[in-house]
Amino acid sequence: MSAATGPVTDKIDPFSKKQSVKKPKQKRSQASSRYKAKGGTELVPLPQLKDATPADQHELFIKKLQQCSVLFDFADDCVSELKSMEVKRFSLIEVLDHIGKSGVLTEQNYPEIVKMIAANIFRPLPPAENAEFDPDEDEPTFEASWPHLQIVYEIVLRFLESPDFQPSIAKKYVDQRFVMKLLELFDSEDPRERDLLKTMLHRIYGKFLGLRAFIRKQINHIFLKFIYETEHFNGIGELLEILGSIINGFALPLKAEHKQFLIKVLIPLHKAKSLAQYHAQLAYCVVQFLEKDATLTEPVVLGLLKFWPKTCSQKEVMYLGEIEEILDVIEPSQFVRIQENLFKQMSKCVSSPHFQVAERALYFWNNEYVMSLIEENSGVIMPIMFPNLYRISKDHWNQTIVALVYNVLKTFMEMNSKLFDELTASYKADRQKEKKKEKEREELWKKLDKLEISSTANSKTVKAVPPMSPNSAPPGDGSANYSPYSPTAHRLMAK
Amino acid sequence: MAASDSDDSLYPIAVLIDELRNEDVQLRLNSIKKLSTIALALGVERTRSELIPFLTDTIYDEDEVLLALAEQLGNFTPLVGGQEHVHCLLPPLESLATVEETVVRDKAVESLRKIAADHSTADLEAHFVPLVKRLASGDWFTSRTSACGLFSVPYPRVSSQVKAELRTHFRNLCGDDTPMVRRAAAGKMGEFAKVLELEYLKSDLIPLWTNLASDEQDSVRLLAVEACVSIASILPREDLESLVMPTLKNAAEDKSWRVRYMVADKFTELQVAVGPEITKSDLAPAFQGLLKDCEAEVRAAAANKVKEFCENLPADVRETTIMTNILPCVKWSFFLQELVTDANQHVKSALASVIMGLSPILGKDNTVEHLLPLFLIMLKDECPEVRLNIISNLDCVNRVIGITQLSQSLLPAIVELAEDTKWRVRLAIIEYMPLLAGQLGQDFFDEKLNNLCMAWLVDHVYAIREAATNNLKKLVEKFGSEWATSKIVPKVVAMAQDPNYLHRMTTLFCVNVLAEVCGVEVTVSVFLPVVLKLASDAVPNVRFNVAKTLQKIGGLFDAETVNSQLKPCLDKLKTDQDFDVKYYASEAILVLTEAA
Repeated sequence: MSAATGPVTDKIDPFSKKQSVKKPKQKRSQASSRYKAKGGTELVPLPQLKDATPADQHELFIKKLQQCSVLFDFADDCVSELKSMEVKRFSLIEVLDHIGKSGVLTEQNYPEIVKMIAANIFRPLPPAENAEFDPDEDEPTFEASWPHLQIVYEIVLRFLESPDFQPSIAKKYVDQRFVMKLLELFDSEDPRERDLLKTMLHRIYGKFLGLRAFIRKQINHIFLKFIYETEHFNGIGELLEILGSIINGFALPLKAEHKQFLIKVLIPLHKAKSLAQYHAQLAYCVVQFLEKDATLTEPVVLGLLKFWPKTCSQKEVMYLGEIEEILDVIEPSQFVRIQENLFKQMSKCVSSPHFQVAERALYFWNNEYVMSLIEENSGVIMPIMFPNLYRISKDHWNQTIVALVYNVLKTFMEMNSKLFDELTASYKADRQKEKKKEKEREELWKKLDKLEISSTANSKTVKAVPPMSPNSAPPGDGSANYSPYSPTAHRLMAK
Repeated sequence: MAASDSDDSLYPIAVLIDELRNEDVQLRLNSIKKLSTIALALGVERTRSELIPFLTDTIYDEDEVLLALAEQLGNFTPLVGGQEHVHCLLPPLESLATVEETVVRDKAVESLRKIAADHSTADLEAHFVPLVKRLASGDWFTSRTSACGLFSVPYPRVSSQVKAELRTHFRNLCGDDTPMVRRAAAGKMGEFAKVLELEYLKSDLIPLWTNLASDEQDSVRLLAVEACVSIASILPREDLESLVMPTLKNAAEDKSWRVRYMVADKFTELQVAVGPEITKSDLAPAFQGLLKDCEAEVRAAAANKVKEFCENLPADVRETTIMTNILPCVKWSFFLQELVTDANQHVKSALASVIMGLSPILGKDNTVEHLLPLFLIMLKDECPEVRLNIISNLDCVNRVIGITQLSQSLLPAIVELAEDTKWRVRLAIIEYMPLLAGQLGQDFFDEKLNNLCMAWLVDHVYAIREAATNNLKKLVEKFGSEWATSKIVPKVVAMAQDPNYLHRMTTLFCVNVLAEVCGVEVTVSVFLPVVLKLASDAVPNVRFNVAKTLQKIGGLFDAETVNSQLKPCLDKLKTDQDFDVKYYASEAILVLTEAA
């Protein structure tokens, strides 16, 4: 159309220049959301620690720590504070050098060090600048104060890893509140920060035995909030990574608490729409659990089947990947328990119109261990898989899929040729039976719908008994005669 | 067994239940959505004795099915036999209220609240309240979360002893170890406060609320802000200062921007709840703080409330001229100026959407002196949304300062925006044209705006051409057909010769809307020949639009014109090569024949 319009340029039409709608990619950085005392303290350079006499060193170290606790606004480009910011940076570097030396971690130093750390890293995170942040497309927003913050995190790690470090003293300061604030920071958009936080939390989990249960509980809360309330938290992957190694260390038999965590938290985590960002770590955790306790296989697989993606093919491929990882470690006795439900889903997947889903599902037949399981249970699995395979071998649009399906059918034929022949023979009849059933269902509902129409037409109240044959007894009678425990009813109810 | 036999032949329960457990989720979902039909088929007794127990036992399904079930059960009271039997619906809903998925739980709670009203007082105490207590002390957080929403409904109807128990349970939930539960409690605190006796509100609930408002999790604190609206509106004025304000002031300066955002977002509700006195002394400064917040989100939320906040001040404005002169004009305009040039476009656009509303509050002189300059700045803003928000609200200002003033100061800006690069902005301007035309008068319009209106007809965005066409109609309605003939029609007709078929079609669209307002005479003498000539256009789209136009304007002509001019033309189009042209031609013939 714009061509026909002639000279009028397309500058007006917002749709014609889609490329320029997206902002040019650039590194964005954002300051933390905190109130700061503007134009506050000006920092004066202190003498260097290495020049001080051992007697003065302690006092100077404390002073340096205090200098390091002063905060600056990096987003504001006010030049006046540049000098003080440089002073702080030098102090941070000196503290970093000094903290690992022996004899520095005296008992009096602990509270000062922790205070400095807390002052720097604990802060309300700013609002996400890009609400529809897509980690594949968009650059993350970086923390503006990183030049200082990075050194602070390095100090933290050196502090925790120091050979002189004594958890028994530190636990007075690194307490539950500290951990809680630490966990909140995992929502940071800056991947560099999350990475350091991960190591930090790992160290704390390793050294403070008294905090372990608390940390696990709080991570639980973060996950549940993510799953059921916000669906937004940047650090899920990092937290799962830590959990992966925590789960690895669980003693056997597993405590009920841990099993509950698997079923009620890790499995529902598969629901979130941002699954792609942490799926690898999540699948690792799940498989860890199954390697520890094979009896968890059934609830895990059924859980995954319950949350199986309906519309998102990308997620479906991830689920299939995870299922294969599970099958890789599954015990044959467990496989028997889940095979029916699982292969009903597999049968849908291999016939998915999305070729990546179909392809991923069909790749299972390349896995030797999985193949051996299928072979052992071909009597159950083949009848489930056959109809869909047979159908798409004729009408899938993608030639690769058709070829793969032929291979699968061939393996089936080799596996159990008798059953295969039976299935081929009864295919048509079965389809007709299905169609008939479908028709019966429609009929039933048509009858029921009429009933509803007639009853709403007759009166607003629904007390009216359904129109029954003319000689039917009044409602009270009818149900009195009807025994819910009559053998037929019972059998049907229990089916 | 005769009766049940005949039952089975028509609606055997087993078949119905089979439908409810069909392998295919979609079919299961369909069946559940028609659960009321199934219940109807079974009758009330069997619904109670068979269907409901079945549903209670088999609650393990996909969340979507459960959601539908939870919703259905809320409307089931008549289907189980009315008030005296309604409590048999509690067991399935209780199970649903404990499932993992939030939407299912919420729906179950909603249904429970609904059927609570159907319970007699005795049943409420015997069945409903025990359910609430069970949920409130459940193991997993989901049941406790659900419980939070079930206090306010039964509370007013039960005995004082049961009330005391309910309060104790609610207190426990407020101090729950799990933040999800505390959030739920904070979220429901407002509605619980409304049904609580004043003495307990002060002695029980306020301390709980204060605690939640200083919770470690900001997500809990911000919900406490919401509860504040209800609490403050119930408490007597004299208690507000001591019981509510300290907490509210803390919230407005909370270290988390989310909490401050919530305060900004609820600001006018809070303002109404605490009344004019406290607004003046405490809220006004807090509001200024939020307008200057370091987070753009908070500033934008506050900016959104500027107009309403000022509107809510009138009691004082009337009482004290000081308020009129000092607060809204001097102070506010100072802050607004800062916001008008805010670095963040969301803040500006939020402000732009409400700032025009201030002019009725401030009156003519203040508007001209303080607001107009701000409008002009915003009209030139680089962000189209800001410009758009200003334009779409021009009429409030118009009413206050009058069109002359408005046109003098704003017209140049408007003319500039008529050629704005964003078509939505142009569209907003077009929609404003008839109003401007009416108030500026014909001469002024011809001189300043007519060319613009015609230029829009050849805009290359269809929405603009369409709006421009409709605009013409409104203009002709205002200025009359004589004006149309001299100022508009020639240009419209000229477009029929344009090499661009889109412009030729625009001529047809104009004829569609102008024929009636211009009158039969003009239509027959001027428009009709043009339209008929276009019937032999090279572009099929033009030709079938000729058919459409003829169908539309056919009713204006006498039978002779129709038979001698329209029909032959349409008959010819009916034999066109193009499928669409044939279709519309025969449709037009049909309509015209029917009309005749």
